[in-house]
Order: sequence, then C-alpha cells, then structure tokens
Amino acid sequence: MKALEVSGLSFAYGPDSVLKDVSFALDRGSALYLLGPNGCGKSTLLGCILGFHHPGSGTILVEGKPVHRFSARQFAGMVSYVPQIHEKSFPYKVAEVVLMGRTVSHSAFSSPGKEDKRLALEALERVGLQGFAERRYTELSGGELRLVLIARALCQDSQLMLLDEPTAHLDFKHEINVLAILTKLIRDTGLTVLMASHSLNHPFYFENEGIDTRVALIDEGRIFQIGTPANVCTRENFYNVYGIESRVKVHHEEGKDRHYVISWK
Amino acid sequence: MDTLEKQAAKPALLLVFITLPFAAALLSLCTGRYPIPPITVFRALLQGVSGRQAGVSAEAMTIITGIRLPRTIMGAFVGAALAASGTAFQGVFRNPLVNSGILGVSSGASLGAAISILLFQNSTLTPVFAFAFGLMAVFFSYIVGRVHNSSSTVTLVLGGTIISSIFSSLLSFIKYIADPLNQLPAITFWTMGSLASIVVSNMKFAIVPIILGMILLLFNRWNINVLSMGDQEAKMLGLNTGATKLTVILGATLATAGAVCVSGTIGWVGLIVPHMARMLTGNDNRRLMPVSISMGACFLVMVDVLCRVISDAEIPIGIMTSIIGGPFFIYLIKKKKGDGWT
Repeated sequence: MKALEVSGLSFAYGPDSVLKDVSFALDRGSALYLLGPNGCGKSTLLGCILGFHHPGSGTILVEGKPVHRFSARQFAGMVSYVPQIHEKSFPYKVAEVVLMGRTVSHSAFSSPGKEDKRLALEALERVGLQGFAERRYTELSGGELRLVLIARALCQDSQLMLLDEPTAHLDFKHEINVLAILTKLIRDTGLTVLMASHSLNHPFYFENEGIDTRVALIDEGRIFQIGTPANVCTRENFYNVYGIESRVKVHHEEGKDRHYVISWK
Repeated sequence: MDTLEKQAAKPALLLVFITLPFAAALLSLCTGRYPIPPITVFRALLQGVSGRQAGVSAEAMTIITGIRLPRTIMGAFVGAALAASGTAFQGVFRNPLVNSGILGVSSGASLGAAISILLFQNSTLTPVFAFAFGLMAVFFSYIVGRVHNSSSTVTLVLGGTIISSIFSSLLSFIKYIADPLNQLPAITFWTMGSLASIVVSNMKFAIVPIILGMILLLFNRWNINVLSMGDQEAKMLGLNTGATKLTVILGATLATAGAVCVSGTIGWVGLIVPHMARMLTGNDNRRLMPVSISMGACFLVMVDVLCRVISDAEIPIGIMTSIIGGPFFIYLIKKKKGDGWT
C-alpha cells in the first residue's frame, strides 16, 4: 500500500482552475519534493490533501483510505503538517507548543499527561532544541520556530509529514539543519515526507544522503514532470517551467558525485 | 526552579487558589455599615446550617445570612463566570483584548432586562428575559459569523460587533420610550451592574448556568490552547474545530448570561482578571482557567466590599470595576511592559 496516493485531482477557486488532473503516489519512507514557480499550485495541493480545500474531482488516499473518511483525530494520527506561516497568538512556552502535537493521543475532554510531556521533550531533543522547553516560543528566531513546529509535528507520531517551504527565511545553518533532521527522521523512523519548496538544490541533498527521493515539477496546476532529481531537475525543464537559463553541475569529491544547480546569464 | 521544587510548589499553589475566594468571602461577610467580627460570622453560619442557637443576635443573623451571604456568593460566582468566559474567548479568538461580551451576550441581556422592566415591572421576570436575550444575541452572532458552513474567528467577531450594535440601538430606543420617572432609572441602574439587588429566589437563574458553563470550559481547557493555534493548525493537530469552538462558546455564553442576568453588565472583569492570571501562571489554559476562576471570584467580592465601605450611598459595582480596572490595567502594562502576555 502507498503512504499517499493522489489521482486525477482537480481544484478551482471559483472559476479559476488551480490544479488540473494531478496524480502521483508516495511510497512509505520516501520523500517527494514539490517544485514550481510561485502560484503554480503547490500549497493548494497540500491544502487539498490536508482537507483545507475540497477538490472538484479526483481521489486522495492516505494508507489506502480516502482523506474525507478520516475524523480530524484519526487524520492527525496519520498525517502531520508543518505550516509555512505560523501566526503566533499567546506567548506559550516552547514545551507547551510542542505538547499540542499530543492532542491526537487523548480523548476529547482530557489534557496531555506526564508521558506526553516526556514525548514532547524527546521531540525537542530530536530537533536539537534541548534546553528550550521553558522559553517563550514568541521570542524564538524564525529558524528555531520552524524547528519547534517540526517537533510538534513529530509528537503526533504520524507516518506522513507534509511541510510547506520548511526552509523559507532560514539562514544557511538552520536550512541545512532542517534538511539534516528530516533526513535522519526518514532514515531512522521510516517517515514519509512531502514538501513544497523553492530550493532547487534540496532534492539533490536528500538524494546524496541516500533517501528515496523524487521531484514533482509543477507548472500552472499540472505536474510537468515527476521522477528522480537527476531526471527532473534539468536545464531544459527549468527553462520550460521558470523561463530561466540554468546549469546543473556535478561536484566530485571524496569519491562522491554531488549535483547542484546554478543560474546562467 | 528545578522540577522537584516545582512539583512541591504545585499543591501549595492549588491550596492558595482554593482558599483565597473563601478568605475574600469571609471579609465580605464581616464588613459593611455594621461591622461584624469573624467569630460571630462563623457562629451565624453554623446556626444557619445546623439550626441550633449559637448565641447570635437576630439582627446579625439577618445581615449575614439574609443580606451579605447571598450577595457574597453571587459576587463570587459572577466574578468567576466573567473571568472564565473572558479567558476562554481570548483563547478562541486568539486575541488578548477580547472580553466575555465579545459575542453580544451583555448587550443582549441588557435589552432583555429593559424589555422586561418596560412591559412587566416584575423583578422575577427580569433575569429570565436577560438570560434569554443574552443567549439569543450570541446565537444571532454565531449565525451571522458562520460563512460557508464554518465559523472563522474574524467573521464571528464581526457578527458579535454587528449584533451588539443592533441590540444596543434597540436598548436606546426602549430607554427613549420608557417612563422617565420609574422605568428609565430602573433600566439605567440595571445596565450599570450591581450586586445590591440580588434576590435569593433569583440566584438559581444564575448559579445553574454559571456552573454548567464553567464545567464545559474546564473540560475544554486544553482544547482552548489548541484552538488558539488557529483553525487550520488546530484541525491538523487532531481537533474537531467546529464542535470544539461551539462547545467553548456555549460554555462561555452560559456562564456570562448566568452572571449578567442577575447582576447587570459588570465590565472589565472578563478582560482584566484573565490578564492578571496570565501574568501569574502563563498562558497554558490547563492552569490559567482554574486560576482565572479563583481570581475572578476574589476580585469581584473584594470590589463589592469596597463599594459598600467607600461611602454611605453604595456605588454600583459596574462603575467601581471600571474605575479600579482601568488604572490597574495601565499599571500592569507599564510595569510589566506587556511581558508574559503579548
């Protein structure tokens, strides 16, 4: 069974068609990277899978079951989500925010207990934020906040994680840190990851780390091409979708080939 | 503070917040035009409960069990209810400036009370009308705020603002046509908020919905945390956002309507007490909600004591909460520089 299977998905905001006949499937323990220009429909696609939008046609199956047949609690146990933008409200402590990921584990009117607290602290440790538990989450930097949201998603203990631009606005160090943590999770826990991003080099990062990685290049609501990073991230494809000349190069060092993309002219 | 110390501090803190309202109540029973020593108060309460003569004069008995006790109990419940619903609404609407009247319950209750005074001049019907109209106003706000079968916080607040404004206009209209000699003062006095006119027979209109509402809010206190992350995130964290939001709104509305229907509109409690509690305990509703309830009860009982002792003619409590609440709020903002809550 596939972790996620989307077939014939179409969606429109009123008369404006956003997604047209999108189909793809995701094996357990793999990573799919959604690339494409601003407004091509990446976030809308994530929104359809998460149930924020109701698709006009097509089916979305998580572990073989249509998404609309899950209750909110069941769904959160299967799929976790790291939003691109988080609007802060009250200055909760970091541990309290991460603990909210444990909402799935208890009944409607009860609160998380000691065991949940332990899992929350463990999740914080896994994203490298040990010692942050008692800090106010409103005072964190953008990179730290992103890690807190990833820790919260980790707490849900779901098999599939959706991330919307997980490295946007992060500095070099935090960017690589997020990628390394995701790599480790996929490798250690068999997590399946679907993420939307603008970083053309990131798919190669996962591939270089030995993760089963694929890229879906999306253009005007359609999947332009889907396949391995080496097949999809090419000069021709980038020109056709972004209209920008680029070069995909190979860097050879310590007996390893590493791909990277640079713009040209 | 290390974890061990923290665990030791928890029960102690719990004890403090359970004891405080009773301490405030005792003070309230002792003070007034005729000061009564605590020992006499205890004897009178004992006599009231057991029915056995404990050597308390009939006069003191009447003052304590007939006048001050109902008033003190009501003050504690009203304060607790307003603080709890203010805390809940702040969480649900993700906004620290929201208070218990955000969905129009207060203006609805005022209109209901005014209609009752205009039509019946009957003090038993006034809380019933106030309660019913309070619920009705929130129901309308909820219907207005429901767009595309979901209730976003923005449209709900808009709905509340619109309905409040309509009900306030209707209230003005009723004041305009009311008899200026007896009805108009009665309406005005009601809208100022007061604990002086509590009648024992009316207390059930208040206490039952207040307890029901607070139970709903206490059961949902973790869910309020999750709701404050925003609708989409709350849903992704596994919360049935529609049903939970409705339950919290229902709880907060029952509590507020119960409070307002016997006491009139008492402002500021639902805004300022949650903030005092936030500064003490942080924003986690698991701790915040019970502490808000305790502090709300203390706050209103203490303000009521002040209303009685400050001058011979009693000051309506709604005026007093604003006079104290406003400057105190300024003090909190300046001293804490918004620390710990925004």
